[in-house]
Amino acid sequence: MKKRLAALVLATATACLLVGCGSTEATGSAATAAAADSTAAAETTTQETTAAATSEAAEAAEPVEITVTTTFAGEDGNAQNYKDAVAAWETETGNTVSDMSATSDETLKTRIVTDFETGSESDVLFFFNGADANDFVSAGKVVSIDDIRKTYPEYADNMNDDLISASPADNVKYAVPVNGYWEAMFVNTEVLDAAGVEMPTADTTWDEFLDDCQKIKDAGYTPIAAALGNIPHYWWEYCIFNQQTPENHLNIPASADDETGTQWCNGLADIKDLYEKGYFPENTLSATDDETFASFTDGKAAFLLDGSWKVGGIVSNCQSDPEDASTLDTAKLDNFDVTYFPGKGNRKTTDLVGGLSMGYYITKKAWDDPAKQAAAVSFVEYMTSDEMVAKFAQHTATALKDSPKVDESQFNSLQVKAMSMMSGVTSLTGAVQDLFNGDCRVSTFDGMPKIVTGKTDIAEAVQEGIDTYNAAQ
Amino acid sequence: MSNIYRKRKYAVIFLIPALLFMTVYLYYPFFVNIVDSFQSIRTLGAGSNNWNDPWYSNYVELIHDEVVWTSLKNTGIMIIATLVGQVGIALLLALMVDNIHKGVQFFRTVYFFPIVISATALGLLFNLVFLYDKGMLNQLLEIFGKTFLTDWKDESHALATMMIPVVWQYVGFYFVIIETGLNNVPDELYESAKIDGATALQRIRYISVPMIHNVMVTCITLGVTGALKVFDLPWTMFPKGMPLDETFLTGTYMYYQTMEAKNVDYGSTLAVLIVVLGVILAQITKRVFKEREDI
Repeated sequence: MKKRLAALVLATATACLLVGCGSTEATGSAATAAAADSTAAAETTTQETTAAATSEAAEAAEPVEITVTTTFAGEDGNAQNYKDAVAAWETETGNTVSDMSATSDETLKTRIVTDFETGSESDVLFFFNGADANDFVSAGKVVSIDDIRKTYPEYADNMNDDLISASPADNVKYAVPVNGYWEAMFVNTEVLDAAGVEMPTADTTWDEFLDDCQKIKDAGYTPIAAALGNIPHYWWEYCIFNQQTPENHLNIPASADDETGTQWCNGLADIKDLYEKGYFPENTLSATDDETFASFTDGKAAFLLDGSWKVGGIVSNCQSDPEDASTLDTAKLDNFDVTYFPGKGNRKTTDLVGGLSMGYYITKKAWDDPAKQAAAVSFVEYMTSDEMVAKFAQHTATALKDSPKVDESQFNSLQVKAMSMMSGVTSLTGAVQDLFNGDCRVSTFDGMPKIVTGKTDIAEAVQEGIDTYNAAQ
Repeated sequence: MSNIYRKRKYAVIFLIPALLFMTVYLYYPFFVNIVDSFQSIRTLGAGSNNWNDPWYSNYVELIHDEVVWTSLKNTGIMIIATLVGQVGIALLLALMVDNIHKGVQFFRTVYFFPIVISATALGLLFNLVFLYDKGMLNQLLEIFGKTFLTDWKDESHALATMMIPVVWQYVGFYFVIIETGLNNVPDELYESAKIDGATALQRIRYISVPMIHNVMVTCITLGVTGALKVFDLPWTMFPKGMPLDETFLTGTYMYYQTMEAKNVDYGSTLAVLIVVLGVILAQITKRVFKEREDI
């Protein structure tokens, strides 16, 4: 009896396995058939689609769920704006968003690229439009703005096409920008006052900046809050920019000893000089970016070179409840200012690194899915509408044809100071590190501690990155 | 006995699913990983571009890469720290707890507790302990009159700062194993030794330690192989081998090359190195610390 029972259990288990496999196949076939029907239906629909508002199309269709990945998360100043906008779009269209947003860092970049490689990419993606996107652009996994406009002529028509960046992979425009960015130097004026140093201005030179750093150091404060072992990105960019002009900053050197290569080496040598003079925190090689940022907001360091997204981080730090804007300590926030990075050589102090480096992509996967196409287009149109762009952009650049007037009364003091700084900008140049991306940067980014301590020769580190870059071309 | 227990073919049938699972999710990926180590792969998840030229170039780089040697040295130190710190301290604690009559359960729980906390959470916790500014340790030292801050993560302190939490976390694990082994030693042996006039130390030396020999061998084997796999806590506290690549272990360096430096094929080469190292060390441990069958 037991033997029969055991045999029965085994047979049942085997049958279940076989049925399971078979049913998967059957389901797959059914799904394929359904997809084929849907595709045929979609083709008909596509032919009939004209300039009708896509949000209406999205409303009319069956509600769908689209997956979206953005960088509006964590300390990003627009994280809450994004959540609100998604909720509003969901209410308006009846569709839902499965949000997979995460803080913008190397891990996210790897995740995005891996998702595309493994076919699990999101339907809509807010991502960099530079070389970081080259892999999936070259693989044809995102749809160009021109192709989308063939079906949805009004797609991104509120944008000035000249300001939309083309992909460096094929010079085609894919990503619809929202808010731009800038990189500049935040200042803790309380520390400056204690050290008897004047606030740097649009005319401050590199040598004057070094004098200020020395005074701050002599007063017992850390002049520069930076974690060179963790995030040397901004110093890398600006110190190289300081050797160049906006016209030639985006050049990639062919070798470490050509003109651009020498400029890069000199820029890194400036960082080494600052390190040797003791202007960075004592633990700059072992600290995280969060630690050095805390030293800046706690009034222990004077300068912080960072991006426009850090405005939100500083403001949050001045709130007793980081989630509640009404708890802002305005007096504390008034101690922070933002200014241009001191210029050297032919670069004017008012030449800034910035631009529109990110935008919304619609993936081929979503475009080819008749159920999701209209919803994806509707979502991007909603998130890039004039009203929404103005809300997200605040003190940064946009690509809008007609920018709505900014209501400064809604801004806090740091945002107003940022607006004031931006009004004096003489040029906005993209970051060369966005072109020299991924593993090319390892020898000079991760290798920065060895560069500043003299354990690695600067020219060798630069050449190693160039070799990696050339190998990838 | 029923025939079903005598016929081995039924046992084999039940073993096949696990074998298939292991083949698909362990042995096949490992084989692919070996192939990857000879190819050029610049992006995680991407296919290979072509074979390396020469095909064994990653293995040549492995030998010349100073960071590999640093990570091997650190892994070696980690193994020693594991044996001395984890198994050694666990043995001492177990012997002491074995000699008390009250509170045994209390000590078991207290010492075992760190095991149930995630290594990442512990890493974040110890980050706060060793923080440069406002860290717990520096604040304590300040109370005792220290006038300057110590960077516990700088070159001279980093390795110790990394290993202390790792050792601390797993002491309880070995403590429980050894303590269970000590509980299995018959009380009669201790009683007769006591009657014969043996001191407490002699009872430990000549009864407890020999009787838990096999348990200790198990602990040592687990310790050595476990030290090779340590990853999460060191990576949380010292990402990217900070500072100056001084804290890389073989596991963290492999992760760094694959996930951060995007040098996937070289990461695969490091993975092969870790497996080879694991097999060699496991064999050495097996030969040096042989289990006794007479206990």
